[in-house]
Amino acid sequence: MDWKQLWEILSAPDNVPIIAMIPLLAFYIYLAWKQAHANDLLIAELAADPALAKTHHRKTWPFRPGWQKEVHVWPFLLRVEFLAAIIVTIILMVWSITLNAPLEEPANPNLTMNPAKAPWYFLGLQEMLVYFDPWIAGVVMPTLIIIGLMVIPYIDTNPLGAGYYTWKQRKFAIGTFLFGFVILWVSMIFIGTFIRGPGWQWFWPGQTWDHNRLIYEVNRDLPDIFGITSNFWKGIFGAIVVGGYFIVGGLIVNGLFRRSNPKDYKRMSLLQYSLMMTFFLIMVALPIKILIRLLFHIKYVWITPWFNI
Amino acid sequence: MPEKSIPENDPIVTKSLAPHYVVCMVILMATLFWALWDEDFGQRPWKTFQHEWKERYSSFLKAARTQSAQSQKEIESGADYQKLQQDYEAASQSAAPRIKEINERLRSLGAELLAVQNVFTDRRAYVNASTYDMETTSSPSSKKSKQQDLDAYKSKPSSVEMPDGKKRTFKNFDELEETYNELRNERTQLSAELGELLKPVNEKKELMDSYVTDHMVSLTPAQLQNLQNDVESLTPKVRQINVNEHAANLEREDSAQIVDRCESCHLGIREPLKLTAASMSLKGKKPDEYARAFTSHPERDLLRIHDPEKFGCSPCHQGNGRATTSVEKAHGNYEHWLWPIFTPQNYEAGCQICHSADMVLTVNDVGWVVSEGKDLFRQRGCVGCHRYEGYDKEPEDLLANGQEIKLLEQKKKDNLKQADDFMAQADQAQTNEEANHLNERAVALKVENSKVDLRVMQLDRTTKSLFQDMKKVGPNLKDVRLKLDKNWIPVWLKKPTDFRPTTKMPNFRLNDEQIKAIAAYVWQSGLTDPLPKHKPGNAAHGKELFEARGCLACHSIGEGDQMQGGTFAANLTRVGEKANYDYLVRWVHNARERTRPYCPYEKKDIGPEDYKKKGLPYVFDLDHSKCPNDGHELQVQNMTVMPSLRLSESDAEDIASFLITQKKKNPSDYPDASFMDDPSLKAEGKKWIQFFGCAGCHEISGLEEEGRIGTELTTEGSKPVERLDLALLTEVAQRGGREPISDPEDLARLPEGPAKEPWYDHKGFFEHKLAEPNIWDLGKIKPPSEQLRMPNLHLTKEQVRALTTFLLGSQENPLPPSYQYRPLDYRKDIQEGWWVVKKYNCMGCHQLIPGQRTILMGLARYQDAQEQLPPKLLTEGARVDPQWLLRFLKNPALNDQDTNRNGIRSYLQVRMPTFSFSENELGKLVRFFQALSRQPFPYIPEEVPVLTAKETEMARSLFSSTAAPCLKCHATGEPAHDRTATAPNFLQARGRLKPDWMEQWMLDPQAISPGTSMPSGLFKRQNNHWVFSGPTPPSFQGYDKDHTKLLVDYILQLTPEEQRRVSASMGRSSAAGSSKASGASAGGHGAGK
Repeated sequence: MDWKQLWEILSAPDNVPIIAMIPLLAFYIYLAWKQAHANDLLIAELAADPALAKTHHRKTWPFRPGWQKEVHVWPFLLRVEFLAAIIVTIILMVWSITLNAPLEEPANPNLTMNPAKAPWYFLGLQEMLVYFDPWIAGVVMPTLIIIGLMVIPYIDTNPLGAGYYTWKQRKFAIGTFLFGFVILWVSMIFIGTFIRGPGWQWFWPGQTWDHNRLIYEVNRDLPDIFGITSNFWKGIFGAIVVGGYFIVGGLIVNGLFRRSNPKDYKRMSLLQYSLMMTFFLIMVALPIKILIRLLFHIKYVWITPWFNI
Repeated sequence: MPEKSIPENDPIVTKSLAPHYVVCMVILMATLFWALWDEDFGQRPWKTFQHEWKERYSSFLKAARTQSAQSQKEIESGADYQKLQQDYEAASQSAAPRIKEINERLRSLGAELLAVQNVFTDRRAYVNASTYDMETTSSPSSKKSKQQDLDAYKSKPSSVEMPDGKKRTFKNFDELEETYNELRNERTQLSAELGELLKPVNEKKELMDSYVTDHMVSLTPAQLQNLQNDVESLTPKVRQINVNEHAANLEREDSAQIVDRCESCHLGIREPLKLTAASMSLKGKKPDEYARAFTSHPERDLLRIHDPEKFGCSPCHQGNGRATTSVEKAHGNYEHWLWPIFTPQNYEAGCQICHSADMVLTVNDVGWVVSEGKDLFRQRGCVGCHRYEGYDKEPEDLLANGQEIKLLEQKKKDNLKQADDFMAQADQAQTNEEANHLNERAVALKVENSKVDLRVMQLDRTTKSLFQDMKKVGPNLKDVRLKLDKNWIPVWLKKPTDFRPTTKMPNFRLNDEQIKAIAAYVWQSGLTDPLPKHKPGNAAHGKELFEARGCLACHSIGEGDQMQGGTFAANLTRVGEKANYDYLVRWVHNARERTRPYCPYEKKDIGPEDYKKKGLPYVFDLDHSKCPNDGHELQVQNMTVMPSLRLSESDAEDIASFLITQKKKNPSDYPDASFMDDPSLKAEGKKWIQFFGCAGCHEISGLEEEGRIGTELTTEGSKPVERLDLALLTEVAQRGGREPISDPEDLARLPEGPAKEPWYDHKGFFEHKLAEPNIWDLGKIKPPSEQLRMPNLHLTKEQVRALTTFLLGSQENPLPPSYQYRPLDYRKDIQEGWWVVKKYNCMGCHQLIPGQRTILMGLARYQDAQEQLPPKLLTEGARVDPQWLLRFLKNPALNDQDTNRNGIRSYLQVRMPTFSFSENELGKLVRFFQALSRQPFPYIPEEVPVLTAKETEMARSLFSSTAAPCLKCHATGEPAHDRTATAPNFLQARGRLKPDWMEQWMLDPQAISPGTSMPSGLFKRQNNHWVFSGPTPPSFQGYDKDHTKLLVDYILQLTPEEQRRVSASMGRSSAAGSSKASGASAGGHGAGK
């Protein structure tokens, strides 16, 4: 283990946010889960006792019957928020006194630093460049991510679970979020920050980032494995494979979704449902591509003169 | 989930957050104060420096003032000062009564004037305003009425209360004005008189003050008081120098953008006192970081040349001049600053950034290291593999020259064609005028062609010069068969330092196969022309000549402690083991003599057969340097800097015979190397020779046009550190700790010893590379053809430091052009001259910088015979006529037939050699010496006045005076006398010496050439003239011109007959014996020391 270098990477001012983010993320997931669990218990209790449900509307559990049904924003919410604001101010001030902005040397157009890394919040995007061509990873995917996030309110037909934590009422939404944000996005940032070293090679934590390291790795395109040589047939082949993924994947997801969320399925229009399916399948495609790249050394599946997937 | 008891009341509503708020607010306030502190002090450590500076410097000044006051008292008690003081007092006393009178009158006058002025200015203001009003009135009638009003006002009387209390009445405005002007005039006159009176008094006072200032070693108490006042009124602020501040906005590309705040902490750098770390420490404590920061600049002369106000600090020292938040940041010693400050061991690297064209670059004690680095880079043959702007540029110049000639020839052809066109057009022209015009244009083109022809001729001459100037560091390997013992070659290649520890030839780490192949190629490609046979000479006489003629200025002999001589050329201790006697004779006689001339056009050595084909005699030298086949310039000399000592053939034989005895074992002891005749090795050998770049230093048959194999180093110092390939040692260098070099010899080459700190920077790279050039191959698995090629130069610690300093400073110049050192005046001549001077090792024999030691000075032979040393050239440009110098450098014998002698100092055993300088280098040298002495060029000799018979008689009497018997030491041309002479013949002065210099020389030779045997004090100053110190004959009565001038004019008109006459008359008086004369001269020299 190269402890010295591990410490250098962990303590770099650039990496402080991502280091802080990992425990914070775990903590808040735990907190949210705890509250959701409590609310789910409350929901179960209220569902079992309609009389109680009439008198008690506060989403808090456990509770006593005599407690106020509703509390005022001022002072009961704002005083907590203001306290939080003070604590955040303290943290920001201490942070800015102790760590200066990690500025580097004047840019030298003749010399690219190695590894050349984006700011931590972009490292997930940069990591995607390994798996797709720049047009897909740099333009199409970010656009789809933003549009997908914008679309959520319009395809979310579930009226439950707004304004309080719950798991049982919003299993699909929360599960998709955890998968897309925590598993995909944060772990890609983690890989980009701590795993990718000189030459964007894969270094396990604790392995020395050696600039002279040489590795043998050949990535091949899927059509090549099947012996397809002509560009035209490569395009056709890729289109069939990708299309097949969407058809087969769509059928599987459709089956699962209908079985586990029959109410949602009923509430959704065809447009809402197909949008949801498209974005969901594209999201799932990303880890699949990562895995076939890392495990089977497959570079691209679909090769066209305009883009590669 | 564990069951928790549920509280009675709703916690959201009833729970108090007050404790949380208290804690958070306390922390927030603490953070706020922390931020304020950080803003004021944490980010501004220089404030503490300035605070410390104020205290320490002011207590230092206090102590200095007490001392200074004491020494001022001492000086003031001296007789000279007392006299000045008396003068001053007398002057002030004599002037005192009148001064008192004037002052009194001035005082009362001032009061009167004030009184009148009050009334006068008031009335004048009214008059002026009315006048203006009148001037701007348009109607004549109102103008007239206003005039009347004004006249009425003017004629009104006014009264003034005078200072004595009385009232004085003026009857009108004019009278008031007159009185006012009179009073003012009187005051002006009195003030002027007072000034006149005070002038002599003040002058005396100034004399007193300047006497104190001149005699004080340090500053006077008053000056120190001023400094103290300054330091005590110091307020903390960033002290900033903006380099090129004014041009920054005018010309973008000319702005350096350098902002240096170094003096915010280094407050003592420019103080007029010498501040050391010890003197700036707190009492009884060791120097801390403040004390070290407050020292003054160690070389004030450097600051005088490079005014910090103009240049700042970081252009020389590097570092991040803008940073003020920490010492590391300001010095640039952090990861992301590309130009960290030069360490004290290499601080001269800063000089190289601007002064890469200056071969010798010294100011007092500074500059010697980087100058040595420059020299090493050239002399050790680094230039053979690595291109460096300005070094070894003859081949490039030659190429450029050839291209220009080609272009010009093309132009000539075009011109001719166009001229023909014009002529043809003229024939068909419509009008006479047009025809004439066209003809004229044709004629103009033909004239231009003749100019082109002349230019081409000039370029041809330059080409010839360049061929002559082109030198190689190593010997010509075409001559190996003639020169070397065959069996010795593989032994040498194995490890040259085993045979000759001080050799320039580096160790190439060759394996046996490579040695065999390389030796075979060199041997088989060598020339086999016959050498003239020589009879054995007298080795004992050869040894004497070897030591006396000056060979040791460049060569050394003896090993280890026994070694004596210079390191410029080879150590000859074991030359007898390898060399062929006949070749040695030829080499000693004239090293430039080539076996065969080389034609770069045909790329082959031209032999007698080529000459025979054209029916030409097989003669090639500098005057016969055209190729018989194609007329191109030939290389007719060996490309060595070794000059000809103009020895006779038999002397050369003697020296060679002596050298051939220099050996430790016999050539026959070396193992047989007959494999060198194996033709199958030749191709392999050529490959390895090309691989190792042998042709960079040696002339090798078939590889004359080889390029350099190494990387260019002109801007190596500004290469990003990531571009320096430390291979597997990158991590080691970044973390420090383990020193990768394990070989003890190489380890000893590291200037800072084995690495303890991280050394991942340029300095670490250069030092390790120079100490063990293949260090980056450590741990790498590579075939021989991919291993690092750079040989081990077996440098010493100091040499590694010098070269590292040189390389660190090899940077792209960040300064605007107007700040760079690119002189076009006499300083350019100096720059160019040093290249030639260092190239031929002139400083091995001659002193050119005061205090510089020559190699010969260090030899035992000259310890008691300093008059036998070659002349010092400290004022050569002022001494000699450049035309003469040119003649002398061309042929130091100053004689075409009898060349086995010195032209001027025939009494010296050591010989000024013939270097066969090219026209180019001759010009550079002559200009160099003139420029070094700041002499105008070209030199126009001054007319020497013809002396009258009486003057001649007077001069002769001085010339032959027994108090200064010139001819006792100066040579006269008589063999008997010249045996003991220690100075040149006067007959050679005309056309050689400049009269001004001669006069100066007679007055104080010690000041011009310290240690000369020419006596000082021959003349003294009397009635504003230089007169002879000894007894002067009565004929000098009433002669009121300089005796020195007279003597100079006499010497310049001296004829051989006159000299003989004088010498004969003197000879009679001191015929007692020449042995006495030599004793006297040695004594005279002793006094000179």
